[in-house]
Amino acid sequence: MLAVQILVDGFAISALYGLGAVGFTLMFGVSGVLNLTHGATMVVAAVTAWVVAGQHAGSPWLAAVAGTGAGVATAFATYFLVVRPIQRSRSVPAAEKEIFVLTGTLLWGIMIQEAVAYFYTDNPKTVQPLIAGVMQIGGVRTPINELLIAVICWTVIGLLWLLVNRTKAGKVLLAASINPRALTILGFELSRVYLLVWTIYGVLAGIAGVLLATFLGASSAQASQLTASAFSIVVLGGLGSVTGSLFAAYVVGYLETLTAYLISPAYRTVPALVLVVLVVYFRPHGLLGRR
Amino acid sequence: MRALLSSRPVWMALVVLAVLLTLPLWASAYILGVLTIACYFGVFAMSWDLLFGFANEVNFGPTFLIGTGAYTAGLLNAHGVPMWACLIAGAAGALVGGVVLAVPALRLTGPYFGLTTLVAVLLLQQFIIIFAGTTGGEIGLTMNDILSMDATTNYWYALAFMAVSGAILLTLSRSPVGLILQASGQDRIGASALGFNVVKHKLAAFCVSAVFSGLAGAMLVFYLGTASVGTVVDVAVGVQVIIAAVLGGRRTIVGAAIGAIFLILAGELLRPLGQLSTFVVSAVALIVILFFVDGLMGLLGRRREES
Amino acid sequence: MRHATTLAFRAATALLAAAVLGGLTAGEVRAQGKEPIRIGIISEESAIAGAGISRAAQVAMDEINAAGGVDGRKVEIVQYDDHNSAADAVRAFQRAVSQDKVVGVIGTYITEIALALQPWSARTHVPFITTGAASNEISRHVHDDYDKNKYTFHEYMASPFIADSVCDSVKLWLQTKYSIKSAVVLSEDAAWTTPLDAEYLVCLPKIGVTVLDHIRFSPDTSDFTPLYNKIEGEKPDVIVTGLSHIGVQPTVQWAQQQVPIPMIGISSQATSGTFWKDTNGAAAGIVTFSVASDGANLTPATQPFVNAYIKRFGEPPPYPGYTTYDAVNVFVQAVKRAGSTDGDKLVAALEQTDYTGTVGRVEFYGRDSLFTHAMKYGAGFATGIALQWQDGKQVPLWPKASPNSTIKFPAFTHLQPPKG
Repeated sequence: MLAVQILVDGFAISALYGLGAVGFTLMFGVSGVLNLTHGATMVVAAVTAWVVAGQHAGSPWLAAVAGTGAGVATAFATYFLVVRPIQRSRSVPAAEKEIFVLTGTLLWGIMIQEAVAYFYTDNPKTVQPLIAGVMQIGGVRTPINELLIAVICWTVIGLLWLLVNRTKAGKVLLAASINPRALTILGFELSRVYLLVWTIYGVLAGIAGVLLATFLGASSAQASQLTASAFSIVVLGGLGSVTGSLFAAYVVGYLETLTAYLISPAYRTVPALVLVVLVVYFRPHGLLGRR
Repeated sequence: MRALLSSRPVWMALVVLAVLLTLPLWASAYILGVLTIACYFGVFAMSWDLLFGFANEVNFGPTFLIGTGAYTAGLLNAHGVPMWACLIAGAAGALVGGVVLAVPALRLTGPYFGLTTLVAVLLLQQFIIIFAGTTGGEIGLTMNDILSMDATTNYWYALAFMAVSGAILLTLSRSPVGLILQASGQDRIGASALGFNVVKHKLAAFCVSAVFSGLAGAMLVFYLGTASVGTVVDVAVGVQVIIAAVLGGRRTIVGAAIGAIFLILAGELLRPLGQLSTFVVSAVALIVILFFVDGLMGLLGRRREES
Repeated sequence: MRHATTLAFRAATALLAAAVLGGLTAGEVRAQGKEPIRIGIISEESAIAGAGISRAAQVAMDEINAAGGVDGRKVEIVQYDDHNSAADAVRAFQRAVSQDKVVGVIGTYITEIALALQPWSARTHVPFITTGAASNEISRHVHDDYDKNKYTFHEYMASPFIADSVCDSVKLWLQTKYSIKSAVVLSEDAAWTTPLDAEYLVCLPKIGVTVLDHIRFSPDTSDFTPLYNKIEGEKPDVIVTGLSHIGVQPTVQWAQQQVPIPMIGISSQATSGTFWKDTNGAAAGIVTFSVASDGANLTPATQPFVNAYIKRFGEPPPYPGYTTYDAVNVFVQAVKRAGSTDGDKLVAALEQTDYTGTVGRVEFYGRDSLFTHAMKYGAGFATGIALQWQDGKQVPLWPKASPNSTIKFPAFTHLQPPKG
């Protein structure tokens, strides 16, 4: 009984972690950007969904679309206002571009967080689940929404896989993550590749944010926690590896769930953190990382 | 020595110091209080810059070192240990913490190093909260002693501390050790090829950074009268330290202190804005790093050329 | 050219620095004449509860000034946002006292911050009234070192009293309608809940309720499913809560998962008027305690304040709003009584407070009590009220119920009527 509970519980939350992490790692893999505005992007999506749902009472699907759109908009804003100017800047030495992008996205994330808190307070926002009600799974009463979240996450990830492996655009993305210079030599415009990856990122982060709002709720105060969590999962799985991130998301999700059930909810995050440290020490490129 | 005195950052530092020295003559207790905190932040930022600017290691968790120093001092004081001993213990505690962190962390580069430092802060925070019975957890620890009740005296302590730390850090950064650090930061392989033990030097930089951060953290909590997660451990505090150093101008040491003072003063000046003050300060910092890459120091004059 | 630019930059920077310092020193010179009575309000503006503190203070200020002020002197509120940071709050306090010349500080609903401000109130000899923090450490410090800490007043129910209030309500009200013989205590791991839980564990058994489990979770928990599953396995009749930093998430998840056990106790966020919207209706059936509410009519002062607040801000006040409104009035009356704004005289005057506030009759405990300067609790003073969310409204149910109202738990919960 407990085992089934843990299994079901862990699955949904891991799927949610996974979606966010995949976006994060894809961004790094293809464009080398560690986007510390990640959490804030998810929060914007969540809050937008809440605002739209409030104004059009009873249409969570419309709210979900609006939220995802907001995620994409935020991603674009991050790219055009912060990341691209730094990447193109001539006064930043090449070796330090990464650090400037990090600091820049960090600051931008704080600005977004504060703006959201200013207009909407830091109270968590929730959106009504896309499908309400509960059902029994192996004797465990589970909200249908949780299952829906897992289904949506995996469908999106599946679509992403199809995109990367079966479409031309996707293959270009893959190539860019391996060797950007070779790509330009072959005549591809990197700027279009980056645009594509930021769009995909925006969609992933947006969906993740909206789902978070329906499941656990999201508040502006959580932005940095969401970023740190995605960051840890991605490093655990291997920076740049999508499969790695998914795997790591499930490892972390289940570790946390097991800790919460079997030891105590107060220590929930500790084993996962310790695991990240151990992996970074013994196997820095992550569980499934390349190179 | 002459080279030292003729460099821009040093002149800037002396000018700023001169202004700060005159403050008690005309500024109110409130302003002195703000600048006292700014001085301690200045040391946090300078220690960070030594590590980042020179060893090129982005430490996402300066508050791991600061917090370890602060809480070591605080916990000992709560058990009756006299203040001066607590301060020394705080620095020592941070040093130990720094070594424990550095040994695994320095084997890594780039984002992995950054992540380890970040995770260290998160773990420290969890540790403090879980053992709230001893550490005071979320409420914080009330100190038995404080540096002084008088604003002016506190100010002198802070200013002197910042000046001395700054002098030491600046000298270090320009010493042969500092140059090696810079070299290994820019070109790790080249430096090793030249025979320098890169890891050993980075470890040394880490230790120096740790000692100053820890000591400053300990002094800060003796000034405030409380040690709490929100003031010396939280990731948000670490972010402010990083912003201060980058805003001031990386690799100048002096820039970090000036950046910290600017940041804290700006935050206070914008206090009437209420909720939006953090937004505005972050926006200004973002604009600076987008358009004035060398920070405030860059604005004030040409930086020394890198070799 | 470059030399000139550098010079220009330097001049600009010097000017900027001067402006910054100048900006900070501005206002040192005050006009002569009838000085207004300045009160500093320190709170976290981006939280609903914190914003409520400054708003309620404004309502109080306007009313007092409209009635002529204090012997012709106007009351002026100076607001500070502490960004939920103790360091910021301390700086705000310093600025308030030495720069803006306030004669009293009111604020914060966060225990950590109240405790950080307490020593500064002691050092500057400026009275500080906290209107939302709950830990009894605050008043214990006053008791333990009276001469130093006497400047602090705790105008909110201390945690042990809050717990007693919950227990009283269960005994005098809930147990008359339902069979409540067992409970699980579920609290966030925070400063104010330590004494709260300790008192729950004492007062619940006294009324015949066995405490099956005592769960404390980290305030940054976002997934409550393991907790609810665990609690459900233990089969208590009710869950007694101690929640303040969080509220929306556990409530929404409780409703989504249809946990068959009602939640009563303290859920501070549930006391705010926007909670129904924030949880999209998941709040239905939640019982929480507050110091007062819309429609509670605890005293003749309660509803007029609520109406004034709603008229100005569009929604009812959150819980610290009531105590802050009372605190401003209490303070101003103390100024009148003392005939001075001197710290020590104000303390003596505050100790004599006997004021009919929105939360009840406000008086402070004296040196003979362990909780010196805390607000008196009990019949005739402040008792707290139990509210339940029903159909988008907060319905006061105990000790005075709204007319034609009754308690209604959601259909998925399974409370039984009392046996025998």
